[in-house]
Amino acid sequence: MSETPQTAKPAKGKNAIAVLRERHGGMSKELKEYFKEQQRIRKLLREGLKGGAMTVPQLAAACKLETRTTMWHLMAMRRYGEVVEGTEQNGYLLYTLKEG
Amino acid sequence: MAKIRERYDALVIGGGIAGMQAALDLGEQGYDVLLVEKDPSIGGVMVGLNKVFPTLDCSSCICTPRMAEAAHHARIQLQTYTEVERVEKKGTGFAVHLVKKPRFLIEDDCVGCNLCELACPIDVPHEFDYGLGARRAVYIPHGNAIPQTAVLDVENCVFCGKCEKVCPTHCFDFAQEAEEVTTSVGAVIIATGLQITPMAAKKEYGGDTFVNVMNPLGMERIQSSNGPYGRVLRPSDGKIPRSIAYVQCAGSRDRSIGIPYCSRVCCMYALKQALLLTHYIHGVEVTLYYMDIRAFGKGYEQFYRRAVKEGVKATKGKVAKITEADNHDLILRVEMLDENGRVEERRHDLVVLAQGLVPGWHVGGVVDAEEAEDGFLLTPDAKISPSHTTLEGVFVGGVAAGPKDIPDAIVEAGEAAMAAANYLERTGWRAMAGAVLGASAAKQEVVETWEMH
Repeated sequence: MSETPQTAKPAKGKNAIAVLRERHGGMSKELKEYFKEQQRIRKLLREGLKGGAMTVPQLAAACKLETRTTMWHLMAMRRYGEVVEGTEQNGYLLYTLKEG
Repeated sequence: MAKIRERYDALVIGGGIAGMQAALDLGEQGYDVLLVEKDPSIGGVMVGLNKVFPTLDCSSCICTPRMAEAAHHARIQLQTYTEVERVEKKGTGFAVHLVKKPRFLIEDDCVGCNLCELACPIDVPHEFDYGLGARRAVYIPHGNAIPQTAVLDVENCVFCGKCEKVCPTHCFDFAQEAEEVTTSVGAVIIATGLQITPMAAKKEYGGDTFVNVMNPLGMERIQSSNGPYGRVLRPSDGKIPRSIAYVQCAGSRDRSIGIPYCSRVCCMYALKQALLLTHYIHGVEVTLYYMDIRAFGKGYEQFYRRAVKEGVKATKGKVAKITEADNHDLILRVEMLDENGRVEERRHDLVVLAQGLVPGWHVGGVVDAEEAEDGFLLTPDAKISPSHTTLEGVFVGGVAAGPKDIPDAIVEAGEAAMAAANYLERTGWRAMAGAVLGASAAKQEVVETWEMH
C-alpha cells in the first residue's frame, strides 16, 4: 500500500493560502475577469433592488443587463440568502433584498 | 476517514444507486467492500431527481437512506472524490490503483457547518444543478450529500483565504495533493451509471445554445424544492412558464448523433415531469411530442393514462426543428404524424428535450473489459448472466451495462453482487486472506454486539 497519511499537518498561519496560490500559479486571467464581472453585476443588482421589489425583466432593464445574466446572478444571491422572492406580478416573481 | 487497506473482497466502482446496492448486498453477505466514487458525494444521478415514476415518491427520500446505510456499513469502506486509474488482473484477483483527489481539508475534522461556503466570494455554475444554479469555490455538494464535507475547487478559487478564517475546526489543509493508493481486491463491480446524450451536434434543436431548451436532469432540479430557483421558472428571464413542450426521442433512436438505441426511460420520465408540472403551475399547458410511447414497466401504462387524464397533451408528432424568438420563446416545427404528416409551427415558453442515456464512464485503459458498439459494457451472455463482462471477475450493474430505469438498475446490481460473491467463493479469495479475515471477524463482532444493544 503506497498511501501517504491524509491527515498531514494543516497549513495554518497567515501564509497558508499563499501555499495554494503559489502551487497553482494564482488565478487565471479568465477567472480574474469572471470574478471582476461578477462583482460589477452584483453591485448593479444590489443598487437596482434598493428601489424596491422587481421582476427579472424589470431589474435587467434598470441595470442594462441581459435578462438571462440577471436571472442567474439573482438566483445565486437568492441561494446564499441575499435576495428573497415575493409575490407574482404579470407572470413573474418579484424579488427584494433581504433585510438586515 | 479510514485509510485504504491492503486488501478487500470486492471493489465497487460508482456510488450511485446501483453501486450502493451492490456494495450493500455484498456487505450484508459478510464481504469487505471498497466503494469508490469520483464525485465528492455518493448518490449519483438519483439523489438529484425530484420524484420517481410511477409512484411519484420523493427520489431523495428513497436514495438518502441507502446512502447513509452504505456510508455507515461496517463492511463497506467509502472512498469519495477518488478516481480509479487502473484495475490490473493478478491471478484471480486484481491490483487496483486509485487517485484520491485533494479536498484541501481534513475530512474527519470538517463538521459540514457551511461557514466556508458562505464566506467564499465567488459563484460558479453548480454541476449538481446542471449549471442553472450557483455554488461557491468551496462548497458542500448539496444538502443531502454524504459525506457532508466541504471540497475546495481550486480551479475557481480566488485565494482570499476567507474559508480558512471562518472554519471553526481549522480543518483546511492547503498543502494537500492528489494521493496515489494501491490495493488488492478479489472481484470488481462496475456501476458507473449514465450521462445524458450530448446535444451539441443536434443543431436543429439549437445545439445546446437556446437558454430555454432544457435537458431533463436540469428540469428535475428546477422541479425540486431544493432546486436552483425554488420553483419552476424559465432560465432566460424568470417567467413562470405557461406553455411547456417535451420533445421525445430527442437523443435516442437517432443515428445522426450515433445513438440508434431506445433509452427506455425517456417516455416515463417525461410523462412524470409533465404530470408534475400540471400540479406545480396552475393553468400550465404541457405538450408531449412523441413518435410512440414506450410504457413497458409495472404500472407504467396506467401512469401514462393518468398523465393524459390529468391534462398532459400527448401529441403524435416529430419535432423537426426548434428556433428561438427574440424573447427566448421557442418555435417548434412539428410534423403531425396523426394528421397525414401536416407540418405545424407551435410556440412554447420552455422546451425540455427528452434526451437519452449514454455511459457515465468508459473503461478504456482502466479495466480490460470490453465495451459493446454502443459504448456500454459488453455482457456476452446477457440472457443467462447479465452482469458478467468479458473479463472474469469483473461484473457490471445498473446503467453501465445499458439504459434502464431505477428498479431494473437495482435488481441488476443485486445480481452483480451475487455473481461477485460466487466468484469470490469459487476462487477462494477470502481463504487466502487470513489476516484480513481476522480483522473482518473482529469488526463483525463489534457489529453484532451493537445490534444486540
